[in-house]
Amino acid sequence: MKLLTRYNRVNLLTTIIVMLITGIIYYQAISLILVSQLDKSLVVEENEVFEYVGLNHQLPQVFKSNDQQITFTEARPGTVTRQFINTIYRNREGDDEDRPRRHVRRHRHEDEFESGRGLISSVMVGNKYYKILIVESKVETEDLIKIIFGITAGVILLLLLTLFVTNRLLLNRLWQPFYNLLKELRIFNVADSKDIPLEKTNIEEFEELNQVIISMSTRVKNDYKDLKTFTENASHELLTPIAVINSKLDTLIQTDSFSQQQSKLLNDLYSAVSKLTRLNQSLLLLVKIENRLLEGNDHINLKLHIQELIIQFEEIFLDKELIVTCELGEKELITSTYLVDILLNNLLSNAIRHNYKGGRINIKLTDESLVIQNTGENAPLQEEEIFIRFHKSTESEGSGLGLTISRQICENLKFTLNYSYDASYHTFTVTF
Amino acid sequence: MKILIIEDEKGLRESIEEYFMEAGNICETASNYQEAMSKVSLYTYDCILLDITLPGGSGIEILKHLKQNNNTDGVLIISAKNSLDDRLEGLDLGADDYLVKPFHLSELRARVTAIIRRKTFNGSNLLVFNEIGIDLLAKSVKVSDTPIKLTRKEYALLLYFIANKGKVVSKNAIAEHLWGDGIDMANNFDFIYSHIKNLRKKLMEAGSNDYIQAAYGMGYKFTDQ
Repeated sequence: MKLLTRYNRVNLLTTIIVMLITGIIYYQAISLILVSQLDKSLVVEENEVFEYVGLNHQLPQVFKSNDQQITFTEARPGTVTRQFINTIYRNREGDDEDRPRRHVRRHRHEDEFESGRGLISSVMVGNKYYKILIVESKVETEDLIKIIFGITAGVILLLLLTLFVTNRLLLNRLWQPFYNLLKELRIFNVADSKDIPLEKTNIEEFEELNQVIISMSTRVKNDYKDLKTFTENASHELLTPIAVINSKLDTLIQTDSFSQQQSKLLNDLYSAVSKLTRLNQSLLLLVKIENRLLEGNDHINLKLHIQELIIQFEEIFLDKELIVTCELGEKELITSTYLVDILLNNLLSNAIRHNYKGGRINIKLTDESLVIQNTGENAPLQEEEIFIRFHKSTESEGSGLGLTISRQICENLKFTLNYSYDASYHTFTVTF
Repeated sequence: MKILIIEDEKGLRESIEEYFMEAGNICETASNYQEAMSKVSLYTYDCILLDITLPGGSGIEILKHLKQNNNTDGVLIISAKNSLDDRLEGLDLGADDYLVKPFHLSELRARVTAIIRRKTFNGSNLLVFNEIGIDLLAKSVKVSDTPIKLTRKEYALLLYFIANKGKVVSKNAIAEHLWGDGIDMANNFDFIYSHIKNLRKKLMEAGSNDYIQAAYGMGYKFTDQ
């Protein structure tokens, strides 16, 4: 769940609950005030009746007045207790045309029934005991309450809406630095020289987060750089002893007469040293390519390069009785010749090395891609594994770095290198 | 020929010295910057083998010094640095060649021979070994006036052998010389064998002596003794 959604949910829910509670309290309070006001006016009416009776010693004539009805009924003395009641106000249809129409509930009768508030009281006129019932319609009060309630509800809705919208806008903007950072982290590449930029924000938490991420990435990059430097230095330092071994071997074979066994040992030494040399050079090369130390802007006619390479490998093709089919279109690249040569050399060497006698190699160059296919072991290779450093088949004499280097070169040149296996051909595709 | 070996690694320096030491050659060595500077200032050499990273200074400085004084000594840089920039810097400054460590002594010898040949036989492109004559410009080979047709690899092989005459050249060194070190040729020495067989056959059919000897299964020796 997104932070914003979560926040909005909680926020809106609490707002609604609080608003509902206040709404109820508000409603009750207003009802109470209005009812007490009604009660006051009922008491005033009662007093008027008392005064009238006190002065005239007879019951007052009952007038129809606005929303007020007074009825007198005879009762046995002492049976009436004074009290306020909620009752029904009966409004006679024909009687009050002067009265503005209100939205009152209609019943089947011609009469309108409205809720009302009544006061039961008693009065003695002469020696007759009367029960007084004064009823006042609550319609106006209720209307007022409804209006007030409606306005309140409207305000609540408006408030919720504003809250929702502002939260959305504000939070989105507030969290922008966070999302920016996230984006930077997503594209973060330890081998890249690009640093995570300092996000401009005046929110302390984000600034802190940013600082921490920057220092972390710097540390990671430094560690990585150290590691690379170490690899480079180690490979470099190895060069001199290898050179010494090599030269000593060259010197050793100048001395005369070796037995069969000795010369076999020397041969093994030579191949081991030459393997070591190649491995070391591959490592150095890989580090250099990763560090993007080998860049160039040469115009390369790829077709020509491939043709030259094929001429170079000619004897090997002949020796292994490989059938090489070329389908070369024109393609020009603007990049480092050195890298392209290494790439081509690696891919073609692999196609030869992992082929069998009498096998086939197909090379196809188009404007979009270079495809090198070769026959070989009759099973597909694991694409994820073959590009890993030092991954190689047990019988391979290679360094195990060739494809790693090839892929790294492709990455540097913004190409993609993919492996697939179809119809007994191992296929490497460079997509430009 | 007179050669100066500027190299701080004792083992390598001694091997090179030993490999070049023979009748008619003078080898001198320098193991640090100061020693090298004083030697190149005092004497002239046919070829200077120059290591870039030296105790006390950079080989590049020595190269600059040589070129400023219009010194005509051939310079071959031997360096562990294999970046294109280093290579280009060296060659731009006037070095004749650039060889990356580790290398085979026979390769070094072939390169040095080529440099000296270019320096000394100014204009003349003829290389003669007994009855074998090689026109370096036309890349044609004659055995006592009988022209023979060699493939590119056989021609390169012959030059390599002549530069290393009298020395046992390992199969690895030959493979690297012919195909570059980009290819892993360890299992493919058969090519070398067939190239050598062809070269020897062509030379002998044209009336040359058999100069190529196999050396205990490790390599070959081109010799007239």
